[in-house]
Amino acid sequence: MTFLIAARTELIKTRRSSAFWLSVLGAAFMPVIFFLMYTLKPKSFIPALAEDPWTGHFLRGWQSLAPFLLPMFVILSCSLITQIEYKNNTWKQVFASPQSIGAIFFSKFLAIHIMILFCFLLFNFFMIISALAVNVINKGYSFTHHAIDWLTLVKWSFKTYVSVLGICALQYWLSLRFKNFIVPIAIGLALLIASLALLQWEHIYKIPYAAPILTFMSIRNKSGELLQNHEWNAIGYFVCFTALAFLDLLNRKERG
Amino acid sequence: MEIPVIETKKLDFSYSQTGGKTLDNVNLQVLPGSIYGFLGPNGAGKTTTLRLLLGLLKNQSGSILLFGRELSHHRVDILKRLGSLIEQPSLYLHLTAKENLEIYRLIYKCEKSRIAEVLEIVGLENTGRKKAKQFSLGMKQRLSIAIALLHKPDLLILDEPTNGLDPNGIIETRELIKKLNKAYHTTILVSSHILSEVEKMATHVGIIHKGRLLFQGAMQELQQMKTHKAVLEVETNNPESAMSLLSAQFEGQLADGKLLLPYKDRMQVAVINRLLVENGIDVYALHTKQSDLEQLFIDITSNDQ
Repeated sequence: MTFLIAARTELIKTRRSSAFWLSVLGAAFMPVIFFLMYTLKPKSFIPALAEDPWTGHFLRGWQSLAPFLLPMFVILSCSLITQIEYKNNTWKQVFASPQSIGAIFFSKFLAIHIMILFCFLLFNFFMIISALAVNVINKGYSFTHHAIDWLTLVKWSFKTYVSVLGICALQYWLSLRFKNFIVPIAIGLALLIASLALLQWEHIYKIPYAAPILTFMSIRNKSGELLQNHEWNAIGYFVCFTALAFLDLLNRKERG
Repeated sequence: MEIPVIETKKLDFSYSQTGGKTLDNVNLQVLPGSIYGFLGPNGAGKTTTLRLLLGLLKNQSGSILLFGRELSHHRVDILKRLGSLIEQPSLYLHLTAKENLEIYRLIYKCEKSRIAEVLEIVGLENTGRKKAKQFSLGMKQRLSIAIALLHKPDLLILDEPTNGLDPNGIIETRELIKKLNKAYHTTILVSSHILSEVEKMATHVGIIHKGRLLFQGAMQELQQMKTHKAVLEVETNNPESAMSLLSAQFEGQLADGKLLLPYKDRMQVAVINRLLVENGIDVYALHTKQSDLEQLFIDITSNDQ
Protein backbone atom coordinates (compact mmCIF):
# COMPACT_ATOMS: atom_id res chain seq x y z
CA MET A 1 0.00 0.00 0.00
CA THR A 2 2.76 2.43 1.02
CA PHE A 3 4.66 1.49 -2.12
CA LEU A 4 1.62 2.16 -4.32
CA ILE A 5 1.15 5.57 -2.69
CA ALA A 6 4.83 6.33 -3.24
CA ALA A 7 4.48 5.28 -6.89
CA ARG A 8 1.49 7.62 -7.28
CA THR A 9 3.49 10.53 -5.87
CA GLU A 10 6.30 9.75 -8.32
CA LEU A 11 3.87 10.01 -11.22
CA ILE A 12 2.61 13.39 -9.95
CA LYS A 13 6.23 14.59 -9.91
CA THR A 14 6.67 13.73 -13.61
CA ARG A 15 3.72 15.98 -14.64
CA ARG A 16 4.93 18.60 -17.11
CA SER A 17 8.52 17.50 -16.38
CA SER A 18 11.25 17.18 -19.03
CA ALA A 19 11.05 13.37 -18.62
CA PHE A 20 7.37 13.43 -19.60
CA TRP A 21 7.97 15.58 -22.68
CA LEU A 22 10.95 13.45 -23.65
CA SER A 23 8.64 10.40 -23.72
CA VAL A 24 6.04 12.15 -25.84
CA LEU A 25 8.46 13.77 -28.29
CA GLY A 26 10.73 10.69 -28.37
CA ALA A 27 7.75 8.52 -29.28
CA ALA A 28 6.49 10.94 -31.93
CA PHE A 29 9.85 11.70 -33.59
CA MET A 30 10.26 8.69 -35.89
CA PRO A 31 6.54 8.33 -36.81
CA VAL A 32 6.63 11.96 -37.99
CA ILE A 33 9.78 11.26 -40.04
CA PHE A 34 8.09 8.18 -41.59
CA PHE A 35 4.99 10.22 -42.37
CA LEU A 36 7.13 12.77 -44.23
CA MET A 37 9.17 10.09 -46.02
CA TYR A 38 6.11 8.11 -47.16
CA THR A 39 4.29 11.28 -48.24
CA LEU A 40 7.23 12.81 -50.09
CA LYS A 41 8.61 9.63 -51.69
CA PRO A 42 5.59 7.43 -52.52
CA LYS A 43 7.30 5.87 -55.55
CA SER A 44 9.92 4.24 -53.36
CA PHE A 45 7.70 3.25 -50.44
CA ILE A 46 4.42 2.12 -52.03
CA PRO A 47 6.07 -0.90 -53.70
CA ALA A 48 8.26 -1.59 -50.65
CA LEU A 49 5.20 -1.67 -48.37
CA ALA A 50 2.82 -3.36 -50.80
CA GLU A 51 2.80 -6.93 -49.53
CA ASP A 52 2.73 -6.71 -45.74
CA PRO A 53 2.59 -2.96 -45.02
CA TRP A 54 2.19 -3.06 -41.23
CA THR A 55 5.07 -5.47 -40.62
CA GLY A 56 7.31 -3.49 -42.97
CA HIS A 57 6.28 -0.22 -41.32
CA PHE A 58 6.90 -1.45 -37.77
CA LEU A 59 10.20 -3.14 -38.71
CA ARG A 60 11.37 0.21 -40.10
CA GLY A 61 10.19 1.86 -36.89
CA TRP A 62 12.06 -0.44 -34.52
CA GLN A 63 15.09 -0.39 -36.79
CA SER A 64 15.27 3.37 -36.46
CA LEU A 65 14.97 3.20 -32.66
CA ALA A 66 16.83 0.10 -31.49
CA PRO A 67 20.51 0.85 -32.10
CA PHE A 68 20.80 4.34 -30.67
CA LEU A 69 17.62 6.32 -30.02
CA LEU A 70 16.01 3.82 -27.65
CA PRO A 71 19.06 3.24 -25.39
CA MET A 72 19.64 7.00 -25.41
CA PHE A 73 16.02 7.58 -24.40
CA VAL A 74 16.43 5.14 -21.47
CA ILE A 75 19.68 6.84 -20.42
CA LEU A 76 18.04 10.27 -20.50
CA SER A 77 14.82 9.12 -18.78
CA CYS A 78 16.74 7.63 -15.84
CA SER A 79 18.71 10.84 -15.43
CA LEU A 80 15.79 13.22 -15.89
CA ILE A 81 13.53 11.43 -13.41
CA THR A 82 16.16 11.31 -10.67
CA GLN A 83 17.20 14.87 -11.53
CA ILE A 84 13.70 16.04 -10.52
CA GLU A 85 14.87 15.51 -6.92
CA TYR A 86 18.40 16.83 -7.34
CA LYS A 87 17.38 19.90 -9.32
CA ASN A 88 14.65 20.88 -6.87
CA ASN A 89 16.73 20.06 -3.80
CA THR A 90 13.97 17.70 -2.66
CA TRP A 91 15.83 14.51 -1.78
CA LYS A 92 16.09 15.64 1.85
CA GLN A 93 12.33 16.16 2.07
CA VAL A 94 11.70 12.76 0.49
CA PHE A 95 14.06 10.97 2.90
CA ALA A 96 12.64 12.91 5.87
CA SER A 97 9.12 11.74 5.02
CA PRO A 98 7.69 8.57 6.61
CA GLN A 99 8.54 6.17 3.78
CA SER A 100 10.84 3.19 3.88
CA ILE A 101 14.02 3.45 1.82
CA GLY A 102 12.69 0.55 -0.24
CA ALA A 103 9.47 2.42 -1.10
CA ILE A 104 11.46 5.51 -2.11
CA PHE A 105 13.91 3.53 -4.25
CA PHE A 106 11.48 1.20 -5.99
CA SER A 107 8.69 3.74 -6.54
CA LYS A 108 11.05 5.99 -8.48
CA PHE A 109 12.35 3.02 -10.42
CA LEU A 110 8.77 2.06 -11.21
CA ALA A 111 8.08 5.61 -12.45
CA ILE A 112 11.01 5.25 -14.87
CA HIS A 113 9.60 1.97 -16.19
CA ILE A 114 6.13 3.43 -16.52
CA MET A 115 7.65 6.28 -18.52
CA ILE A 116 9.45 3.80 -20.81
CA LEU A 117 6.28 1.73 -21.30
CA PHE A 118 4.30 4.94 -21.89
CA CYS A 119 6.80 5.86 -24.60
CA PHE A 120 6.46 2.37 -26.18
CA LEU A 121 2.68 2.69 -26.15
CA LEU A 122 2.81 6.16 -27.68
CA PHE A 123 5.37 5.05 -30.26
CA ASN A 124 3.13 2.20 -31.48
CA PHE A 125 0.13 4.51 -31.45
CA PHE A 126 1.91 7.25 -33.43
CA MET A 127 3.25 4.65 -35.88
CA ILE A 128 -0.31 3.49 -36.57
CA ILE A 129 -1.61 7.06 -36.83
CA SER A 130 1.22 8.12 -39.18
CA ALA A 131 0.55 5.15 -41.49
CA LEU A 132 -3.20 5.79 -41.54
CA ALA A 133 -2.64 9.52 -42.16
CA VAL A 134 -0.33 8.71 -45.10
CA ASN A 135 -3.01 6.40 -46.49
CA VAL A 136 -5.59 9.19 -46.31
CA ILE A 137 -3.29 11.52 -48.27
CA ASN A 138 -2.12 8.90 -50.76
CA LYS A 139 -4.55 6.11 -51.65
CA GLY A 140 -1.71 4.15 -53.27
CA TYR A 141 -0.68 2.79 -49.85
CA SER A 142 -2.51 -0.31 -48.61
CA PHE A 143 -2.43 0.11 -44.82
CA THR A 144 -6.21 0.39 -44.65
CA HIS A 145 -6.61 -2.89 -46.56
CA HIS A 146 -4.52 -4.94 -44.14
CA ALA A 147 -5.11 -5.82 -40.50
CA ILE A 148 -2.53 -5.05 -37.82
CA ASP A 149 -0.95 -8.16 -36.29
CA TRP A 150 -1.47 -7.06 -32.68
CA LEU A 151 0.12 -10.17 -31.19
CA THR A 152 3.37 -9.60 -33.07
CA LEU A 153 3.30 -5.94 -32.13
CA VAL A 154 2.96 -6.82 -28.43
CA LYS A 155 5.68 -9.48 -28.75
CA TRP A 156 8.13 -7.05 -30.36
CA SER A 157 7.38 -4.37 -27.82
CA PHE A 158 7.83 -6.86 -24.98
CA LYS A 159 11.16 -8.14 -26.33
CA THR A 160 12.42 -4.61 -26.87
CA TYR A 161 11.36 -3.64 -23.32
CA VAL A 162 13.22 -6.64 -21.89
CA SER A 163 16.29 -5.66 -23.93
CA VAL A 164 16.57 -2.27 -22.18
CA LEU A 165 16.17 -3.62 -18.61
CA GLY A 166 19.92 -4.01 -17.99
CA ILE A 167 20.68 -0.51 -19.27
CA CYS A 168 17.84 0.90 -17.21
CA ALA A 169 19.03 -0.61 -13.90
CA LEU A 170 22.65 0.47 -14.42
CA GLN A 171 21.65 3.99 -15.50
CA TYR A 172 19.28 4.33 -12.53
CA TRP A 173 22.11 3.41 -10.19
CA LEU A 174 24.44 5.93 -11.84
CA SER A 175 21.77 8.63 -11.80
CA LEU A 176 21.18 8.09 -8.06
CA ARG A 177 24.92 8.07 -7.40
CA PHE A 178 25.88 11.26 -9.24
CA LYS A 179 24.27 14.59 -8.55
CA ASN A 180 25.77 16.00 -11.73
CA PHE A 181 23.39 15.29 -14.59
CA ILE A 182 26.20 14.97 -17.13
CA VAL A 183 28.08 12.09 -15.47
CA PRO A 184 25.50 9.26 -15.90
CA ILE A 185 24.66 10.47 -19.42
CA ALA A 186 28.33 10.60 -20.42
CA ILE A 187 29.00 7.11 -19.00
CA GLY A 188 25.89 5.72 -20.70
CA LEU A 189 26.72 7.33 -24.02
CA ALA A 190 30.32 6.04 -23.91
CA LEU A 191 29.17 2.50 -23.11
CA LEU A 192 26.54 2.66 -25.86
CA ILE A 193 29.02 3.82 -28.51
CA ALA A 194 31.55 1.20 -27.38
CA SER A 195 28.86 -1.51 -27.66
CA LEU A 196 27.92 -0.44 -31.17
CA ALA A 197 31.58 -0.44 -32.18
CA LEU A 198 31.96 -3.97 -30.82
CA LEU A 199 28.86 -5.33 -32.53
CA GLN A 200 30.82 -8.00 -34.42
CA TRP A 201 32.44 -9.33 -31.23
CA GLU A 202 31.44 -12.89 -30.35
CA HIS A 203 30.66 -11.95 -26.74
CA ILE A 204 28.60 -8.89 -27.64
CA TYR A 205 25.43 -10.56 -26.28
CA LYS A 206 26.93 -10.14 -22.79
CA ILE A 207 27.00 -6.33 -23.11
CA PRO A 208 23.72 -4.77 -21.88
CA TYR A 209 23.98 -1.68 -24.12
CA ALA A 210 24.00 -3.87 -27.25
CA ALA A 211 20.84 -5.76 -26.24
CA PRO A 212 18.29 -3.48 -28.01
CA ILE A 213 19.98 -3.77 -31.41
CA LEU A 214 20.45 -7.54 -30.93
CA THR A 215 16.74 -7.76 -30.16
CA PHE A 216 15.91 -5.88 -33.33
CA MET A 217 18.13 -8.28 -35.30
CA SER A 218 16.35 -11.27 -33.79
CA ILE A 219 12.96 -9.72 -34.66
CA ARG A 220 14.04 -9.07 -38.24
CA ASN A 221 15.48 -12.60 -38.57
CA LYS A 222 12.29 -14.04 -37.04
CA SER A 223 14.26 -16.05 -34.47
CA GLY A 224 12.06 -18.68 -32.89
CA GLU A 225 12.33 -18.35 -29.11
CA LEU A 226 10.56 -15.54 -27.29
CA LEU A 227 13.67 -14.54 -25.34
CA GLN A 228 17.21 -14.84 -26.69
CA ASN A 229 20.46 -15.16 -24.72
CA HIS A 230 21.13 -11.41 -24.72
CA GLU A 231 17.60 -10.78 -23.39
CA TRP A 232 18.08 -13.27 -20.54
CA ASN A 233 21.37 -11.51 -19.84
CA ALA A 234 19.51 -8.17 -19.78
CA ILE A 235 17.16 -9.62 -17.12
CA GLY A 236 20.20 -10.88 -15.17
CA TYR A 237 21.88 -7.46 -15.32
CA PHE A 238 18.60 -5.85 -14.30
CA VAL A 239 18.33 -7.96 -11.13
CA CYS A 240 22.01 -7.56 -10.32
CA PHE A 241 22.30 -3.78 -10.85
CA THR A 242 18.97 -3.10 -9.12
CA ALA A 243 20.13 -5.03 -6.03
CA LEU A 244 23.49 -3.23 -6.01
CA ALA A 245 21.86 0.19 -6.44
CA PHE A 246 19.45 -0.50 -3.59
CA LEU A 247 22.17 -1.74 -1.24
CA ASP A 248 24.26 1.28 -2.15
CA LEU A 249 21.41 3.65 -1.24
CA LEU A 250 20.62 1.72 1.94
CA ASN A 251 24.19 1.95 3.21
CA ARG A 252 24.84 5.53 2.21
CA LYS A 253 26.21 7.66 5.04
CA GLU A 254 24.40 10.75 3.86
CA ARG A 255 21.02 10.88 2.15
CA GLY A 256 19.27 13.91 0.77
CA MET B 1 8.96 14.31 34.65
CA GLU B 2 7.97 15.03 31.06
CA ILE B 3 9.58 12.90 28.39
CA PRO B 4 11.57 15.20 26.09
CA VAL B 5 10.32 15.29 22.51
CA ILE B 6 13.93 15.32 21.37
CA GLU B 7 16.79 13.92 23.37
CA THR B 8 20.29 13.26 22.14
CA LYS B 9 22.87 11.58 24.32
CA LYS B 10 26.59 12.01 23.73
CA LEU B 11 26.05 12.73 20.06
CA ASP B 12 29.31 12.80 18.11
CA PHE B 13 29.71 13.22 14.38
CA SER B 14 32.52 13.85 11.92
CA TYR B 15 32.32 14.03 8.13
CA SER B 16 35.76 12.52 7.62
CA GLN B 17 37.80 10.16 9.73
CA THR B 18 40.87 12.37 9.61
CA GLY B 19 39.10 15.72 10.13
CA GLY B 20 37.93 17.14 13.44
CA LYS B 21 34.59 16.50 15.07
CA THR B 22 31.63 18.39 13.60
CA LEU B 23 29.59 17.48 16.69
CA ASP B 24 31.16 16.75 20.03
CA ASN B 25 29.13 15.25 22.88
CA VAL B 26 25.88 17.08 22.08
CA ASN B 27 23.17 16.40 24.66
CA LEU B 28 20.08 18.12 23.33
CA GLN B 29 16.83 18.19 25.29
CA VAL B 30 13.68 19.67 23.80
CA LEU B 31 10.64 19.61 26.05
CA PRO B 32 7.04 19.16 24.83
CA GLY B 33 5.27 22.39 23.93
CA SER B 34 8.42 24.47 23.78
CA ILE B 35 9.90 26.62 21.06
CA TYR B 36 13.53 25.64 21.22
CA GLY B 37 15.86 28.17 19.61
CA PHE B 38 18.95 26.37 18.37
CA LEU B 39 21.54 29.11 18.13
CA GLY B 40 24.96 29.15 16.66
CA PRO B 41 27.12 30.82 14.03
CA ASN B 42 27.39 29.35 10.54
CA GLY B 43 29.35 26.11 10.58
CA ALA B 44 28.69 25.49 14.28
CA GLY B 45 26.96 22.15 13.63
CA LYS B 46 23.28 23.17 13.67
CA THR B 47 22.32 21.70 10.31
CA THR B 48 24.37 18.56 10.97
CA THR B 49 22.46 18.06 14.24
CA LEU B 50 19.10 18.58 12.54
CA ARG B 51 20.01 16.24 9.66
CA LEU B 52 20.94 13.59 12.22
CA LEU B 53 17.58 14.10 13.96
CA LEU B 54 15.79 13.47 10.66
CA GLY B 55 17.88 10.43 9.77
CA LEU B 56 19.41 12.18 6.74
CA LEU B 57 22.84 11.46 8.18
CA LYS B 58 23.85 8.11 9.61
CA ASN B 59 24.43 8.35 13.33
CA GLN B 60 28.02 7.49 14.28
CA SER B 61 28.07 7.62 18.04
CA GLY B 62 25.61 8.44 20.80
CA SER B 63 21.86 8.01 20.72
CA ILE B 64 18.95 9.98 19.27
CA LEU B 65 15.54 9.66 20.89
CA LEU B 66 12.44 11.33 19.49
CA PHE B 67 9.18 11.02 21.42
CA GLY B 68 11.15 8.73 23.74
CA ARG B 69 11.96 6.22 20.99
CA GLU B 70 15.23 5.41 19.24
CA LEU B 71 15.29 7.00 15.79
CA SER B 72 17.34 4.19 14.26
CA HIS B 73 14.72 1.59 15.24
CA HIS B 74 11.49 3.51 14.67
CA ARG B 75 12.39 5.86 11.79
CA VAL B 76 9.10 5.71 9.84
CA ASP B 77 6.85 5.89 12.94
CA ILE B 78 8.78 8.89 14.27
CA LEU B 79 8.79 10.71 10.93
CA LYS B 80 4.98 10.37 10.78
CA ARG B 81 4.77 12.71 13.80
CA LEU B 82 7.31 15.19 12.55
CA GLY B 83 7.40 18.03 10.02
CA SER B 84 10.61 19.55 8.74
CA LEU B 85 12.18 22.29 6.69
CA ILE B 86 15.90 21.89 6.23
CA GLU B 87 17.96 24.72 4.72
CA GLN B 88 16.51 25.95 1.41
CA PRO B 89 12.90 25.18 0.43
CA SER B 90 12.40 21.70 -1.03
CA LEU B 91 9.74 22.12 -3.69
CA TYR B 92 8.95 20.71 -7.11
CA LEU B 93 9.26 23.96 -9.01
CA HIS B 94 7.41 22.73 -12.12
CA LEU B 95 4.31 21.97 -10.01
CA THR B 96 1.72 24.24 -8.41
CA ALA B 97 1.38 24.74 -4.64
CA LYS B 98 -1.55 22.31 -4.54
CA GLU B 99 0.33 19.66 -6.55
CA ASN B 100 3.32 19.98 -4.22
CA LEU B 101 1.04 19.52 -1.24
CA GLU B 102 -0.82 16.63 -2.92
CA ILE B 103 2.42 14.62 -3.07
CA TYR B 104 2.93 14.88 0.69
CA ARG B 105 -0.79 14.57 1.45
CA LEU B 106 -0.67 11.10 -0.13
CA ILE B 107 2.48 10.16 1.78
CA TYR B 108 1.14 11.39 5.14
CA LYS B 109 -2.33 9.99 4.34
CA CYS B 110 -4.16 13.22 5.26
CA GLU B 111 -7.64 14.35 4.30
CA LYS B 112 -7.92 16.30 1.04
CA SER B 113 -9.32 19.27 2.95
CA ARG B 114 -5.96 19.72 4.72
CA ILE B 115 -4.46 21.20 1.55
CA ALA B 116 -6.82 24.20 1.64
CA GLU B 117 -6.37 24.47 5.42
CA VAL B 118 -2.57 24.66 5.39
CA LEU B 119 -2.58 27.00 2.40
CA GLU B 120 -4.77 29.32 4.42
CA ILE B 121 -2.56 29.04 7.50
CA VAL B 122 0.49 30.18 5.48
CA GLY B 123 -1.49 32.68 3.39
CA LEU B 124 -1.05 31.03 -0.01
CA GLU B 125 -4.67 30.20 -0.76
CA ASN B 126 -4.81 32.33 -3.91
CA THR B 127 -1.84 31.03 -5.92
CA GLY B 128 -4.07 29.03 -8.31
CA ARG B 129 -2.22 27.51 -11.27
CA LYS B 130 0.95 29.50 -10.60
CA LYS B 131 3.95 27.17 -10.53
CA ALA B 132 6.29 27.15 -7.55
CA LYS B 133 9.16 28.44 -9.71
CA GLN B 134 7.22 31.69 -10.11
CA PHE B 135 6.96 32.16 -6.33
CA SER B 136 9.07 34.64 -4.39
CA LEU B 137 11.50 33.17 -1.84
CA GLY B 138 9.11 34.11 0.96
CA MET B 139 6.25 32.27 -0.74
CA LYS B 140 8.44 29.23 -1.34
CA GLN B 141 9.42 29.22 2.32
CA ARG B 142 5.77 29.47 3.37
CA LEU B 143 4.81 26.63 1.04
CA SER B 144 7.58 24.52 2.58
CA ILE B 145 6.15 25.28 6.01
CA ALA B 146 2.69 24.32 4.70
CA ILE B 147 4.10 20.93 3.64
CA ALA B 148 5.62 20.49 7.09
CA LEU B 149 2.22 21.27 8.68
CA LEU B 150 0.05 19.02 6.48
CA HIS B 151 -0.21 16.11 8.89
CA LYS B 152 -0.55 18.27 12.03
CA PRO B 153 2.84 17.18 13.36
CA ASP B 154 3.64 17.06 17.07
CA LEU B 155 7.13 18.33 16.32
CA LEU B 156 8.38 20.83 13.75
CA ILE B 157 12.06 21.04 12.89
CA LEU B 158 12.87 24.26 11.06
CA ASP B 159 16.39 25.01 9.92
CA GLU B 160 16.94 28.76 9.50
CA PRO B 161 13.38 29.37 8.27
CA THR B 162 13.90 33.12 7.95
CA ASN B 163 17.06 32.86 5.87
CA GLY B 164 16.94 35.12 2.84
CA LEU B 165 13.55 36.59 3.72
CA ASP B 166 12.81 40.32 3.73
CA PRO B 167 11.92 41.99 7.08
CA ASN B 168 8.22 41.46 6.45
CA GLY B 169 8.74 37.79 5.65
CA ILE B 170 10.83 37.38 8.81
CA ILE B 171 8.05 38.85 10.97
CA GLU B 172 5.38 36.72 9.26
CA THR B 173 7.38 33.51 9.74
CA ARG B 174 8.08 34.35 13.37
CA GLU B 175 4.41 35.05 14.05
CA LEU B 176 3.44 31.82 12.31
CA ILE B 177 5.83 29.82 14.49
CA LYS B 178 4.42 31.41 17.65
CA LYS B 179 0.85 30.84 16.43
CA LEU B 180 1.46 27.15 15.72
CA ASN B 181 3.00 26.65 19.12
CA LYS B 182 0.18 28.43 20.91
CA ALA B 183 -2.79 27.15 18.91
CA TYR B 184 -1.74 23.55 18.31
CA HIS B 185 0.86 23.05 21.09
CA THR B 186 3.34 22.00 18.44
CA THR B 187 6.85 21.60 19.78
CA ILE B 188 9.17 23.57 17.53
CA LEU B 189 12.91 23.31 17.14
CA VAL B 190 14.08 26.30 15.15
CA SER B 191 17.69 26.94 14.30
CA SER B 192 19.09 30.36 13.59
CA HIS B 193 22.28 32.35 13.63
CA ILE B 194 20.31 35.54 14.23
CA LEU B 195 20.28 35.92 17.97
CA SER B 196 17.61 38.58 18.24
CA GLU B 197 15.27 36.39 16.17
CA VAL B 198 15.47 33.53 18.65
CA GLU B 199 15.08 35.90 21.57
CA LYS B 200 11.77 37.09 20.12
CA MET B 201 10.12 33.69 19.86
CA ALA B 202 11.90 30.95 21.79
CA THR B 203 10.92 29.61 25.19
CA HIS B 204 14.12 27.58 25.44
CA VAL B 205 17.56 28.03 23.98
CA GLY B 206 20.51 25.86 23.05
CA ILE B 207 23.74 27.52 21.98
CA ILE B 208 26.12 25.48 19.86
CA HIS B 209 29.61 26.51 18.86
CA LYS B 210 32.24 24.44 17.08
CA GLY B 211 30.11 21.33 17.54
CA ARG B 212 29.70 21.71 21.30
CA LEU B 213 26.53 22.67 23.11
CA LEU B 214 27.65 25.56 25.33
CA PHE B 215 24.35 26.52 26.91
CA GLN B 216 20.95 24.91 27.17
CA GLY B 217 18.00 26.05 29.21
CA ALA B 218 14.92 28.21 29.49
CA MET B 219 14.94 31.68 27.98
CA GLN B 220 14.56 33.17 31.48
CA GLU B 221 17.86 31.59 32.54
CA LEU B 222 19.52 33.33 29.67
CA GLN B 223 17.81 36.62 30.54
CA GLN B 224 19.08 36.27 34.12
CA MET B 225 22.58 35.77 32.83
CA LYS B 226 22.04 38.93 30.83
CA THR B 227 21.10 40.91 33.94
CA HIS B 228 24.07 39.58 35.85
CA LYS B 229 26.32 40.75 33.11
CA ALA B 230 24.89 44.30 33.04
CA VAL B 231 27.33 47.17 33.67
CA LEU B 232 27.07 50.78 34.76
CA GLU B 233 28.81 53.16 32.40
CA VAL B 234 30.02 56.48 33.91
CA GLU B 235 31.35 59.43 31.94
CA THR B 236 33.17 62.15 33.91
CA ASN B 237 35.57 65.07 33.39
CA ASN B 238 38.31 63.12 35.22
CA PRO B 239 38.03 59.36 34.78
CA GLU B 240 41.30 58.51 36.60
CA SER B 241 40.34 60.41 39.76
CA ALA B 242 36.84 58.97 39.61
CA MET B 243 38.32 55.48 39.29
CA SER B 244 40.60 55.86 42.29
CA LEU B 245 37.74 57.34 44.30
CA LEU B 246 35.34 54.49 43.52
CA SER B 247 37.83 51.61 43.59
CA ALA B 248 37.57 51.38 47.39
CA GLN B 249 33.91 50.35 47.16
CA PHE B 250 33.44 48.99 43.64
CA GLU B 251 35.31 46.74 41.29
CA GLY B 252 35.52 48.62 38.06
CA GLN B 253 37.65 49.30 35.05
CA LEU B 254 38.47 52.08 32.65
CA ALA B 255 37.70 51.72 28.98
CA ASP B 256 37.84 54.49 26.34
CA GLY B 257 37.84 57.15 29.07
CA LYS B 258 34.71 55.68 30.66
CA LEU B 259 34.28 53.86 33.92
CA LEU B 260 32.63 50.48 33.74
CA LEU B 261 31.22 49.12 37.01
CA PRO B 262 29.18 45.98 37.63
CA TYR B 263 25.52 47.00 37.95
CA LYS B 264 23.65 45.86 41.08
CA ASP B 265 20.63 48.09 41.60
CA ARG B 266 19.29 51.67 41.22
CA MET B 267 20.50 52.74 44.69
CA GLN B 268 24.05 51.96 43.68
CA VAL B 269 23.74 54.49 40.82
CA ALA B 270 22.63 57.25 43.22
CA VAL B 271 25.49 56.46 45.64
CA ILE B 272 28.09 56.64 42.89
CA ASN B 273 26.70 59.88 41.52
CA ARG B 274 26.68 61.53 44.97
CA LEU B 275 30.22 60.39 45.75
CA LEU B 276 31.58 61.81 42.51
CA VAL B 277 29.75 65.14 42.76
CA GLU B 278 30.69 65.63 46.44
CA ASN B 279 34.35 65.13 45.49
CA GLY B 280 34.23 67.77 42.77
CA ILE B 281 34.08 65.47 39.77
CA ASP B 282 31.64 66.50 37.02
CA VAL B 283 29.33 63.68 35.88
CA TYR B 284 28.37 63.88 32.20
CA ALA B 285 26.49 60.60 31.85
CA LEU B 286 25.47 57.67 34.01
CA HIS B 287 23.64 54.77 32.45
CA THR B 288 23.28 51.04 32.69
CA LYS B 289 24.37 48.99 29.72
CA GLN B 290 22.60 45.62 29.55
CA SER B 291 24.50 42.89 27.90
CA ASP B 292 22.29 41.82 25.00
CA LEU B 293 22.07 38.29 23.75
CA GLU B 294 24.67 39.11 21.15
CA GLN B 295 27.18 40.12 23.81
CA LEU B 296 26.22 37.12 25.90
CA PHE B 297 26.77 34.83 22.98
CA ILE B 298 30.20 36.33 22.37
CA ASP B 299 31.00 35.96 26.09
CA ILE B 300 29.97 32.30 26.14
CA THR B 301 31.72 31.42 22.93
CA SER B 302 34.89 33.32 23.80
CA ASN B 303 35.06 31.47 27.11
CA ASP B 304 35.11 28.30 25.08
CA GLN B 305 38.13 29.28 23.01
